Order: sequence, then structure tokens, then C-alpha cells
Amino acid sequence: MDGLAFPRIQALGIAAARGKEPKGAPGKSDSGSSRSAGGRVLGCQGAALEVECSAGRGGVVCLAAGCVLLRAPERGWRRGGGAARGIPAGRSSESLGAVSPQEEATIKQSDIRIMAGKVKWVTDIEKSVLINNFEKRGWVQVTENEDWNFYWMSVQTIRNVFSVEAGYRLSDDQIVNHFPNHYELTRKDLMVKNIKRYRKELEKEGSPLAEKDENGKYLYLDFVPVTYMLPADYNLFVEEFRKSPSSTWIMKPCGKAQGKGIFLINKLSQIKKWSRDSKTSSFVSQSNKEAYVISLYINNPLLIGGRKFDLRLYVLVSTYRPLRCYMYKLGFCRFCTVKYTPSTSELDNMFVHLTNVAIQKHGEDYNHIHGGKWTVSNLRLYLESTRGKEVTSKLFDEIHWIIVQSLKAVAPVMNNDKHCFECYGYDIIIDDKLKPWLIEVNASPSLTSSTANDRILKYNLINDTLNIAVPNGEIPDCKWNKSPPKEVLGNYEILYDEELAQGDGADRELRSRQGQSLGPRAGRSRDSGRAVLTTWK
Amino acid sequence: MLQEESDLSLIIAQIVQKLKGSNLYSQLERQAWASLQRPEIKLESLKEDIKEFFKISGWEKKLQNAVYSELSVFPLPSHPAAPPEHLKEPLVYMRKAQGSWEKRILKSLNSMCTELSIPLARKRPAGEQKELLNKWNEMGTDEPDLSLFRPVYAPKDFLEVLINLRNPNYENGDSLSFRTHLGLIQVPLKVKDIPELKECFVELGLNIGQLGIDDSTQVPPELFENEHVRIGQKVLAEQDSAAAQQYIRQGSPTALRAELWALILNISSQPEDVLYYEQLKTNVIQHDLLVDSLIYKDVKLTASNDDYYFVFEDYLYQVLLCFSRDTSVLSHFAFNSASPPKSYIRGKLGLEEYAVFYPPNGVIPFHGFSMYVAPLCFLYHEPSKLYQIFREMYVRFFFRLHSISSHPSGIVSLCLLFETLLQTYLPQLFYHLREIGAQPLRISFKWMVRAFSGYLATDQLLLLWDRILGYNSLEILAVLAAAVFAFRAVNLMEVTSLAAAEKKNHLRELKSMYLDDIVKIHGLFWLF
Repeated sequence: MDGLAFPRIQALGIAAARGKEPKGAPGKSDSGSSRSAGGRVLGCQGAALEVECSAGRGGVVCLAAGCVLLRAPERGWRRGGGAARGIPAGRSSESLGAVSPQEEATIKQSDIRIMAGKVKWVTDIEKSVLINNFEKRGWVQVTENEDWNFYWMSVQTIRNVFSVEAGYRLSDDQIVNHFPNHYELTRKDLMVKNIKRYRKELEKEGSPLAEKDENGKYLYLDFVPVTYMLPADYNLFVEEFRKSPSSTWIMKPCGKAQGKGIFLINKLSQIKKWSRDSKTSSFVSQSNKEAYVISLYINNPLLIGGRKFDLRLYVLVSTYRPLRCYMYKLGFCRFCTVKYTPSTSELDNMFVHLTNVAIQKHGEDYNHIHGGKWTVSNLRLYLESTRGKEVTSKLFDEIHWIIVQSLKAVAPVMNNDKHCFECYGYDIIIDDKLKPWLIEVNASPSLTSSTANDRILKYNLINDTLNIAVPNGEIPDCKWNKSPPKEVLGNYEILYDEELAQGDGADRELRSRQGQSLGPRAGRSRDSGRAVLTTWK
Repeated sequence: MLQEESDLSLIIAQIVQKLKGSNLYSQLERQAWASLQRPEIKLESLKEDIKEFFKISGWEKKLQNAVYSELSVFPLPSHPAAPPEHLKEPLVYMRKAQGSWEKRILKSLNSMCTELSIPLARKRPAGEQKELLNKWNEMGTDEPDLSLFRPVYAPKDFLEVLINLRNPNYENGDSLSFRTHLGLIQVPLKVKDIPELKECFVELGLNIGQLGIDDSTQVPPELFENEHVRIGQKVLAEQDSAAAQQYIRQGSPTALRAELWALILNISSQPEDVLYYEQLKTNVIQHDLLVDSLIYKDVKLTASNDDYYFVFEDYLYQVLLCFSRDTSVLSHFAFNSASPPKSYIRGKLGLEEYAVFYPPNGVIPFHGFSMYVAPLCFLYHEPSKLYQIFREMYVRFFFRLHSISSHPSGIVSLCLLFETLLQTYLPQLFYHLREIGAQPLRISFKWMVRAFSGYLATDQLLLLWDRILGYNSLEILAVLAAAVFAFRAVNLMEVTSLAAAEKKNHLRELKSMYLDDIVKIHGLFWLF
């Protein structure tokens, strides 16, 4: 019975809100009124529940019955391209008529008591850091077949949502945590392709960013290790390989994560063997799933305490056009448990080379207290103490810069769906000359907590992400301007805001970008308020 | 006046004596000889010309720093007639207590030897030597079975000893008065009161800018910081230990700290220092000591599990194993109340001519010892430099945190200072905690023994150690410990047991604490 009643009540809420809006908010600006209407809707949904409880079923159920008809075909996913929220204007005035003056009074009263309606959430990733955050906000869990406002989904699900066959269409009060074609950034082969294209475009425009040195290497845009698609670019790869035959290369399957299917090679014969094996083992070796990228392996990584590490940084994108992204201050370094040795005899020992927790967890020395993780503020303190402030600030500045460049590279091809936001896990390796290299970007950074600190970090990450993506924890309205006030950013800092940057007068002299830093104090993650904004924007 | 003069000449004589045997002395001599070739050195004004040459070439500064270093490490000479043990510790009952504590430690070490039938030391077979050499940089990956080893002692065992310490010449009296010391430490030692502390630590006043402490002045932090960094660079350019020590009292900028500390500690990392470290390394490779297992065990139990320091596990072995072989550490026992334990060649027990110090440096590590090294790993990435800095920090400061003495920076005085501050300035809190059986010292003792290493976030810890170096004193540890209680006073008034109080002062919570929060709200000394 309760399950049945739910959609009806919501319909009532909407009907009531529509009825009230013209009286309540005359002459408001466009964006303002749409915002307040959204708020009103939430208010009334809550209120409707209240009505049902206090006034008993009689009138409400009866009233709702009319709405059931118009709501019936709509469940969770709304199919087809028709009305966004599924309430044709004419109908809504009909249902408005059904609200008696008394009832409207009740609604108003309870409107004061319950200011906001409850966001209905779904997730297909059962992680406590997510669920705890939803519950903390008093949001209500529903199934994906019900009406939902917020769906934290896996990349598999997002594929279905936006696939042509499914034909789902999200309404204004629905938000999801991925962009439809995020893979333009998060698939290793596509990211490289987009960055290569972006560089060519900048070069064509004659942008100073695309400047090259005497060897034909980009001065500022050379931040991804040399990479080829296999088998497609095999010949190009061979040509490059022969130029420096002593180098080591890393093979990664395009569509896999967490270090699966990765191996290192340093002889051409190894790649020939691989290609033979994969051809014989599966007939469809040319299909996309079997595609690999092969990248030059960074064989001079910066070592700390003799160990190799990479950086995991979290970046939130709320819109691609205009580009607006945030950097999470609490990233971390992931350390290998085994000492790094560039010797080729250890090529098979993946513990030496891969820092993924999923891999390292199986190492004998994995420590469950710290999980091999070191905060970015520790890294900063260490580097500033041992190498000086200038180079450290330059390094962090460059890291921010390559992240922004990678996002700019994909922005034109990204489907900037207004229902979407995305929190990326950036993997960056620093070499011994303190140059950062972008290795890959993850669309679904792990939310598994390996240690107590990890749990706190990830809980806060989700908390701050939600504060930006779902303002005030209220039922979202995807038409909002997506520029949250500073106070809600938490541990996020604005990394780049295209609108602001353009207001500032386009990309400034590149050389002046160095020497800026996050804040004067190392190791002080607490210093909030200082934006990352650097002069190069 | 006459007394002061004769004191001074005594000090000069002592320092000259010490420096004569040093490397610097022979270097100066060589430089003086070489300078004779120079045209500006004239025979008629030889002495003055060479002095001038030393000044211009920077050798004078080096000599100055060496003298300054001697002055800060070695205690002022006492009356010439005083026996040498007075230099170690003037109070007989303290000396006795330290002696029996050492006997206990040694007994425990010996019984572990017998139980496990492991020799104190043995020469490694050639194969094992080679193996160790190969994995020198990754000793942490080695997982020897250490389950049978246990730390010789932990801070809380040591605290029990200090609690039972009594001065036989002092009658406590049964009647309670406002003078009665209600804390755990019951020996009468003179500790500073707040006005005296304020006078000593004048640069920590609220009206003086501090690095790592916001809002304490009217000057915007960036402005103060930029200016402070500029002065710091100047101090470094001058290469003057005394100036560096004065400078660092206001906190060191992160990027200058490594150099400033090295300057204050007069560590220059010459090629011969690197060579010396390599020799120690060879000693480690040739001989296996029982204390090695204790060091391994300690690192595995502490630093390896610490989310700030685990990265440096291998560095800790490289420093601590070499430290245990370093006989130059023995010289600090001249002014340490502790004495190096002796061991005898097999079958020659008790025969002095067959006695050797064990371990060679005379220091038996206890639970948490490696935490003295861990924070330094953030500053120095060359093992030999890291090693030198640690050794100097140990013989200047850390040894005082685990030997029984009456020195103002000794652990007994620190405990007493801590308890006196609380009892005097936070009597309600002190009384409350005492009543529920949660004597504050039981909570804070381990913080002080480890100089807060592992209890504060590293950036904060380094700011604290800046002050230790700057004031050449450990008293600030006791003041900070008391300040933490003041900072948490409201919460602590509500707890009803030791366990609950421990939680309120919990390790993790402490790590999220910032010195400036404590100082800003209370002023480290202005707090009471």
C-alpha cells in the first residue's frame, strides 16, 4: 500500500507547487524563479507526505487518484523524448483544481515545518562512504525503477543510460555522477588521442602553448608519456622503439582498470610474441576490447625512501562548457612495497612497478594501517625540505596545469549534459627531474577504504563532491548555474573556471605561471580559502 | 668578577683542549701553512696577516661555529676539584638510581640472550655479509622472525622507576600543605615557574611573530613570512651557528630547515664524514649484534606502522644499525648520567681487560627509539648526512629523555615541570584527573620521552624541534604537554577514567592538532 502511495503523493506535490508559483513569486528573474520553483517542488513533496499523515487518507488519496493516471507510465526512468517532467501544462492545472483551499492551507503550514523535500537516491555501488553520505543528508533510498533524483552509478550503468537503444531522458531534477562519454578522457587510448588532437589544434592556431624545442618536443604540452595504440599503431611504435632500443615500455589493455592485464616489455620480440598469442587465443583480437596502449615507461621515477610512488588526485568537473573544475586538496601518494629497481631482471615483479592498491594489496608487505599511502601534504613537506620551495611550487603548479590541459583537450568532444558531474581520479607519476607525467584518468576512482584514514578521506571527498553537485542537499535542478559559493567547497579548490579566466583576459603569458603555489605553508591542508588560481589562467 | 674570569679561562682551556684533537684543527694548520705562499702574508706581521686571512677565507667562521658547538654540547666545567662523576650527575641518589636502572636493563638483555641462546655479537659468515650488502637499501623487505624478541623496556616501565625515585635527604612530611606536590614525581628539583619560563623563552611571546603560528601579530602572515625567509637566507649565507640558533627560535621556513639545523649542529658533511659512515656500514655488514634485532623489532612496531614515516623504514635501519656501532657516541657519557654497559669476552667474565662496551655505542634501544630518527628523514635524503644529524641530536638532546638525572632538560625535571605547571595553574583539572586515577603524567610521559615524535603531524613536530634547537633546551616539551591538557581541559573535566582521558588526548586527535591552535588560544606560556 505504501509503495503504491508514494508516486501519487509526489504528483500532488508538483501539482500544488505549480498552482502556487504564480502567486508566490511574481516578477522574478528567469533563473531565480526556476530555482525557487525547484525549491518549492521539494517543499511540497515533503508537505504532501505530511498531509497524508495528519489529515488521514480520505481527501488526499482521492485527490491523488487523478494524478496517478498521468503519472502511471512514468517510473524511475522516463522513456521517450516527450515532456521532461511528464506533466503537460493542461493536466497540471486540472490537478491543481483538485486541491481544496483547506488542503492548501495545510500544505502551507507544513511547508514551513519541512523546508526541503527529500532527495531520492539510487546507487549501484554499495559503498559505505556513499550510503553514509546520502543518509546523513536525510535522503531517501529508492530503486532504480522508481523516481529518483540522484544516481551514483558505475560506468557500466552510465553506458546503458545514455545508449541510443535505451532512449532514457533525464528530467531537470535528476543528476548522475558521470558524463555520457567520459571515456573520451578516461579510456587510455582516447585520452591520448584527444590530447594529440588538442596539441595539433593549438599548434595550428599558433598558440604559444604549443611551442616546441629544437628536438621537436612540445615545451609545455609534453606531459603524457609517448603512447601508441596496439595493434593499430604497431608500425609507428616499432619506429619509435628502434630509436631507443634500451627503453622499457608498458602495455595496458584499454578497457581495464586497477592494474589488470598490465605488463612490461623491453624487446620487440616480446611484443611479437604477445601479438601471436592474442591472435591464436581469441579470434576477435582486433575488437576494441582487446586493444592495448603501449607507453614509454617512466624509468627514472622520483624515489622517496628508495621507493617508487604515484599520485592519486581527485578532480571534480561540474561542467565542460564552460569548463569548471575543482581540485581536491587531500590527494595521496601510493607507494610500492618493494624497493624500486630499474633493472630489467625485475620486469616480471609487478610489485616493483605498479602502485595500484589493488595490486599492492597482494604483496606480502602490504600494511593495513597506512596502506602504503602518504598524504600530498607529506609529499610537499618532504620536497620543500629536501629540494626547496621554488621547485616544489613549480611541480605542483605543473601538476595543476596538466590536469587543466587534459580537461581542455576533451572539453570540445565531451557531451556536456547538464545532468552530469564527474569526480575523476588522476594518476600522475613524478620523475627524478620533478617533472609530472599524466598516466591515466579514472572515471570511478576506488571508494573502497583500505585504512581508517582512507575511510575518512573518501567520506569527506564524497561529502564535498555532493555539496558542490547537489547544492544544499536539496532536490537538484540541473539548470542552475553551477557556481557554488566558496563556503561549500570544503577541501576542494577551484582549479579552473573558464568564465572567470576569460573575464580575466584569456590565457596569459605562459612563463609567468611558475612560482605560484597553493599557499605559503607546506603540509597545511587546513589552509582553506586560498584558491589554486594561478596566473597562467 | 675574579671568579668569572677564572671560569672563563677554564672554559677556554677545555675547549682548546678538545679542538686540538679535531679535524678542524689540522685543517686550520694546513690552511695557515698554505697561506704563507700568499703575497699578502708578510713575515713582520705574520700573526695578524694569518688572522686576517682566516677571516676573509671563512675559516674563522668555521672555528667560531666549532667553539659555539662545544659550548652548547658540553656542560660548563665545574670546580676543578670535583670528581668527573659530578659532570655526569651531581646528585648521588640520582646516580644510584640510574645505576640500578641500568642493571635491570642489562639483566633483561642478558636473560633474553640466554633464553633465545643468541650471542650478543657474532661475525657474519662471508655469504651472509654479501647478502646483507646486496639488500642494504631494502632491509625492510626482510622479515626475520622477531616474535621471540621483545623491547628491553618501554616508556611506561621507565616511568615506574621515576615514580619511585626519592631523595633520602628530603623529608616529605605527612601534613598536606599548598606546597605538597600531588603529582607522581616526588623528588625535590628546582624547575622554572611561569615568569622564569617567559624570561627564557622571550621570543615565543605573543607579540613576536612566529612561523607556523597565525594571527599572533598584527602583521599579515605572508608579510612576516616573506621577511622571515629573507632573513633566514641571510643567516645561511653568513654560515654563523649562533645567528642560526637565534633565528630558529621563531620557527624555520620549511625550505631552509635542513640547512639551518645542520648549521646549528655544526654538521658540514665533509668527504671524511661520508667515509666514516661507510666504515660504520662495513662494521654492520661484518658483525651481527643482538641489538640489531631489537632495532628491527622497534622499527617494525613503530615507524613502519606510522602513516608519516613508513616510507623511510629502510633509512631508519641504515641510520640505527650504524649508530649502534659508532664508538664516537661513547664520549657523550662524560656528561650523561648513564654509563655504557660492559660485556666480557667469553670466559673472561669480570676481567676488566677483557671488557668491551656493548653495544659499541653504549646505547641500548628501547621501544620507540627509532622515532627519534624518523622525523629527520623528512629533511635529509642522503643517509650519511641524516646519520650525522641524528647522532648530534642524540648526544645533545635525546639521551636526556631516557636517563635519570637532575639536569633541567632531563626527563625527571620535565616530568616535574609538567606536573607543577598543571598543579599550579590548572588545579581543578589536575585534582579531577588525579581523583579518577588518571594522573596526567601517565598520559603525557610517552609524548615527552619521544619528544612528541609520532604524536604530532610532522610539520608541527619540526616546528617544535626548531625551538628545542633554538633554545638548546627540552623544557618546551613539558610546557607543550601541559598546554595540550589546558587546550583539552573542558573535555577532560568530563572524563571519568584513565582510558577515557587517553582517548580525549588520543594520538590521532593530537596529530590533527596544530601548535598554533594551542598557542593562539592560550599562548604557550601565556596560557597559565
